[in-house]
Amino acid sequence: MKRVYLFCSAGMSTSMLASKMQTVANEHNLPIEVEAFPDGKIGQIIDEKHPDVILLGPQVKYRYGEIVEKFGSKGIPIQVIDQTDYGMMNGEKVLKSAIKLLKAAK
Amino acid sequence: MLSKLESMLMPLAEKIGKNKYLIAIRDGFLLSMPLLIVGSFFLLIANFPIPGWTDFWARFFGEHWDSYFSKPTDATFSIMAVLAVIGIGYSFSEQMKVDKLFGAAVSLVCWFLIMPYEILVNDTAVSGIPLGWVGSRGIFVGILVAFLSVHIYAWVNKKGWIIKMPDGVPPTVAKSFSALIPAGISVLVFFILNIVFAMTPYENAFNFIFTILQTPLLKLGNTLPAMVIAYIFLHIFWFFGVNGGSVVGAVFNPILQTLSAENLAAFQAGQPLPNIISQQFQDLFATFGGCGSTLSLLIAMLFFCRSKRIKELGKLAFIPGLFGINEPIVFGLPILLNPMMLIPFMLVPTINIVISYFCMSIGLVPLCSGVAIPWTMPVILSGFLATGWQGAVLQMLLLVLGVFIYMPFIKMMDKQYLEEESRTVEKSDDDDIDLNDLSFDDL
Repeated sequence: MKRVYLFCSAGMSTSMLASKMQTVANEHNLPIEVEAFPDGKIGQIIDEKHPDVILLGPQVKYRYGEIVEKFGSKGIPIQVIDQTDYGMMNGEKVLKSAIKLLKAAK
Repeated sequence: MLSKLESMLMPLAEKIGKNKYLIAIRDGFLLSMPLLIVGSFFLLIANFPIPGWTDFWARFFGEHWDSYFSKPTDATFSIMAVLAVIGIGYSFSEQMKVDKLFGAAVSLVCWFLIMPYEILVNDTAVSGIPLGWVGSRGIFVGILVAFLSVHIYAWVNKKGWIIKMPDGVPPTVAKSFSALIPAGISVLVFFILNIVFAMTPYENAFNFIFTILQTPLLKLGNTLPAMVIAYIFLHIFWFFGVNGGSVVGAVFNPILQTLSAENLAAFQAGQPLPNIISQQFQDLFATFGGCGSTLSLLIAMLFFCRSKRIKELGKLAFIPGLFGINEPIVFGLPILLNPMMLIPFMLVPTINIVISYFCMSIGLVPLCSGVAIPWTMPVILSGFLATGWQGAVLQMLLLVLGVFIYMPFIKMMDKQYLEEESRTVEKSDDDDIDLNDLSFDDL
């Protein structure tokens, strides 16, 4: 099971996107678990659950540098979700980008 | 111009977003939020905004049926400073990397340590915990005490002045021993503070903070210019794609929450409400449907636009938009970094604030009762629950007005998208991953 975790400021709209991604993953029987969390919990979640990919909502883009600095050394790929895909809640495209990251990071 | 503004604001957003104190306040209030909403719910049942409601049910349940319903409110709102101290002590301990539960407990103890245990009954002092200080009036003291006590706690920890148990002692026992000295020193500092304040004309720390800090801050926060300026900032942040609510809210929400709590206390006591501006004023009248009051924009998108892109987005964003979640519009239309949408995006909320303030100050619409309505409550219903039918009518009018303000701007975008769509043929997403034919064996 690969864990793709999304982080944004409240975890509200990101959880919508996460559930769309999960649906796409389930349809194709992919061993992927997608979940959304508020960005304040990022350190705790990394320590407890060891995600395989971290995606940041575009509204916390300004924290990207800091998050990479803090957690980049753990070898988890971190990326900001494309703004248009996020707005259109395009679960499939975002899932594909996460899979690409997984493949590239191994 | 835009890039200049961005280069100024981004570091500011980052500073605020990373600030330990502001994060602690923001997360600390999350502890009390659900509880206050639950308490409000009971209060709403007892005081539903329909004339004759209370008397109607009194026929079935007896004269004082509603007094039972105020108890859950007393157990939430009236002790909200206690919740704030615990919540902020806990989340600040997390920031300072010390034991969270002990941090919260030490904060609470230090806060009670400087509180006067005296209640005046018919001009004679009786000992007890004064309800006046554990509610909204004690919040600012609570915030300061949580920061200071956890700071001391963490500082002693860092110095290494802790009792270390030999290996083999159960970790829980070791933990409670290692908390002993840091907790002791925190308590000692507040013990001294309590004596110092007793020598001042303020008599105690609570009176001092309330007079010097809380009252002026609330006065400032409860003005139209403060609200308008805070909101213009909030929307400029959003325009650059930063969650303005959490940036501005980190500073502004404690003030709004306290103003709300004051209103609620007056509402319960049946006195006139003191504050026009409050958390509910912001959530329910300044911006409904999310920042920029985009519910109006959504209506304009769904009914008056013809381009595929806008229509699709409108359908997708409608349900979340009803509940005040509007990121799909902000990022999908997009609003951010889109100079065409900046004007209405800032103008609509500002007009909402000014008109609502004006309607409430001349008495057309009752003030928000302070009952904590979640910001996700759909418009019209939320206005009704917060103020009565007048608030629902006001929201409806503002919603329609917003549609008209957004209209010319969204029509411009619509035209642009229509032209783009007529020129481009539908191109398929060409990416190199086929979800049906994907193996994870190599991972």
